Amino acid sequence: MAFINLQNVTYKYPLTKGPVLQNINLQVREGEFVSVIGPNGAGKSTLCYALAGFVPHFFKGEFSGEIEVDGKQSSKSTLDEWVLNVGLAFQNPFNQISGAKYTVFEELAFGLENIGVPRDEMKVRVEEAMALTGISDLADRSPYSLSGGQQQRVALTSILVMRPRLLVLDEPTSQMDPIGTREVFGVVRRMAEQGMTVVMVEHKMEWIAEFADRVIALKEGQILMEGRPNEVLTSDLLTENGFGVSRYTSTAREAKKRGLWRKDHLPVTLDEAVEGFKK
Amino acid sequence: MHERLSFHIQRDSFLHRLNPLTKLVLTLALILIAFTFPWYWTPHILVLIAIIPLSIVGKVFREFSLTALRLIIPAAGFLFLMQAFFQPIGEDVIFKFYFLDITSESLMFAFRNAMRVFVMVSAFTLFLVTTHPSELMSDLTRRGLPGQFAYVIISTLQILPQMQAKAQTIISAQRSRGLDTESSFFKRAGSLIPLIGPLVFGSLVEVEERAIAIEARGFTSRHVKTSLHEIPDSAFDQFLRWALLALIIVSIGLNLWPS
Amino acid sequence: MNINIKDLRFTYPTGLEALKGINLTIDSGEQVAIVGQNGAGKTTLVRHFNGLLKPASGSVIIGGWDTAKYSVAKLASRVGYVFQNPDEQLFSRDVLTEVSFGPRNLGYSKEKIDELVKRAMALTELNDKAETNPYDLSPTWRKMVALASIIAMDTSIVIFDEPTTGQDAVNVGRIAHVIAELKKEGKTVITITHDIDFCAENFERVIALSKGQVLLDGHTREVLGQEETLAQTYVDPPQLTRLGKRLGLKETVTRQEEFMQAIT
Repeated sequence: MAFINLQNVTYKYPLTKGPVLQNINLQVREGEFVSVIGPNGAGKSTLCYALAGFVPHFFKGEFSGEIEVDGKQSSKSTLDEWVLNVGLAFQNPFNQISGAKYTVFEELAFGLENIGVPRDEMKVRVEEAMALTGISDLADRSPYSLSGGQQQRVALTSILVMRPRLLVLDEPTSQMDPIGTREVFGVVRRMAEQGMTVVMVEHKMEWIAEFADRVIALKEGQILMEGRPNEVLTSDLLTENGFGVSRYTSTAREAKKRGLWRKDHLPVTLDEAVEGFKK
Repeated sequence: MHERLSFHIQRDSFLHRLNPLTKLVLTLALILIAFTFPWYWTPHILVLIAIIPLSIVGKVFREFSLTALRLIIPAAGFLFLMQAFFQPIGEDVIFKFYFLDITSESLMFAFRNAMRVFVMVSAFTLFLVTTHPSELMSDLTRRGLPGQFAYVIISTLQILPQMQAKAQTIISAQRSRGLDTESSFFKRAGSLIPLIGPLVFGSLVEVEERAIAIEARGFTSRHVKTSLHEIPDSAFDQFLRWALLALIIVSIGLNLWPS
Repeated sequence: MNINIKDLRFTYPTGLEALKGINLTIDSGEQVAIVGQNGAGKTTLVRHFNGLLKPASGSVIIGGWDTAKYSVAKLASRVGYVFQNPDEQLFSRDVLTEVSFGPRNLGYSKEKIDELVKRAMALTELNDKAETNPYDLSPTWRKMVALASIIAMDTSIVIFDEPTTGQDAVNVGRIAHVIAELKKEGKTVITITHDIDFCAENFERVIALSKGQVLLDGHTREVLGQEETLAQTYVDPPQLTRLGKRLGLKETVTRQEEFMQAIT
């Protein structure tokens, strides 16, 4: 029994012309780390909103099909119940600051206050979450005084602290420095290993290949391809459809033409590239 | 880069430790008494026996004096001048200024009104400076104020500095495109559209995304909410609130009493 | 038009010391990428180039103009600045008006404005969108409108703040093309970026900032090869550079052609 089960999900926002998601079928098992890739306008963010219950509960519009998470159906649930199981962080960190809190510590406690976590437990959970994402030194800063990358870490932490069963992340590292990005992928991987299911929209192919269990390529609201990261991210189909690829993949593909890459499979990660190019 | 977005100053004082609602009642009591108690010198005395002592007890005397000097006294002073000159009451002309007569009555009238305003703004300033906004929100929610309502109040307190920061970025972006915001008034008036357009559009997007973000963190959850900060509410707090309420009633009562 | 920066220091009103003594010269026509961790002072530095921020001490001279003595509007004729978020600058009813806004502010003749706008729109592939309201476009295209509206100002120096953030591969390609064209025209291009592979492929010089100071400055290959020093400011070398290192190549490589040459 899959932890996430999407059956024929089709959705159109009230103001868009055509459907943004078309007949999406998707199963994800518990503790799996799935990465969603695709060009702008492919429906990645809408898929995130659908998993997190905001499509259709918040946005309205025309929805058909069924979304099931942990045996519960989105259509038979209310948004306030749904979000207890499913956490969402999205791209623009500034708009994710509640605006009601004056320090990062308070900001992180906001969600726990809402769901009635006792004060002592709240403090422990906030401190643990801050340590996990490496923002303990920001505890007393105003969330508004932080850089975009730091705010993104706060946004991610504010969801992790809620301990959702399913974590939905929409480009959570877009404003982070490179090593910060890698660290966040590492944190998310660890959460998955502890049993949290993760769906993460990202562009950074090298880290997707390194950390995710599976990749789903979306295009124009449909699943173009899905499978193991190496299999999907090296496929010619992606390049033909305007997806980005890692430099290891593009370079090896070029090298293959010149007879300098002799393996059957193209690489996505550094290790795979080293393996294939080694004399 | 705005590090501080509220007026609140963290200190450990008697005033800081009072329950937020008690402080709110205290603030209202000071204002209502200053405006209704039927004795001429009431607001003047309140400044001496309440406002100034409270700022000392609250360990914010220095900050309070600065605000008073820079903001409250000039505002009250302006009000004083306006009323002294333009209040056509009294016979006892002290001096003439062109066609304007200053009478002792108008002077006394203006003085009292200026002091009333001084008490009002000062009381609010002390309240904001010594009360943590999140504590106020949590306390009012605990007492049955709907969570959404409290959120609107508290986020409005933050929205002005935020809008200001955002407007600053937009102004920077347009100045970088050669928009002259430093010259004449007319040029500046014409340059408002490039500033307001992005501000309004940005706010619409922001409101929607913020609604999603707080909802994703259980904002409308039907659980009983808890609070990170422990909010004191001692027997003394309760006593003080009732006492202040009694004072307000007495003051209003005396005011309405036909003399 | 050279940029000369001497002992530049800057502290925010909050007391945060963002720049702690920067010395730099950027020559006319250079393509420079500025990299470094969040909060290193990248944006603070480039906001001095067009006078949005004025030095607390030290000086920034743009082709003989001391930025401390010129208004931002005046400096806009020499330095164009594309902000990170296009939504912070777009306001017009249609793309054409939006793109004309900058050159009109600079007081060019009507013919010149038309020509500049046409060229900028062609370069950013916006020709078929001239009549569209910018807010009806996708965020990707809004970004291109923001680019076009600065390019149309025809400044000698163009600054991009994180141009590739949130853009897909196709659009990153378009932005790279714009930068290459600006280079051909002899413009100075300065870009803040976290995308190190993009940086390696499109810029000749890289400046790495760390905690308000210049950590590394030099030719792209030279700077991006220094893995340990870069790590101090949370930057990884480009993918191919790391690959080259692991394969034990003698030379540092940053781009595909270099890599191919090195392994054949």
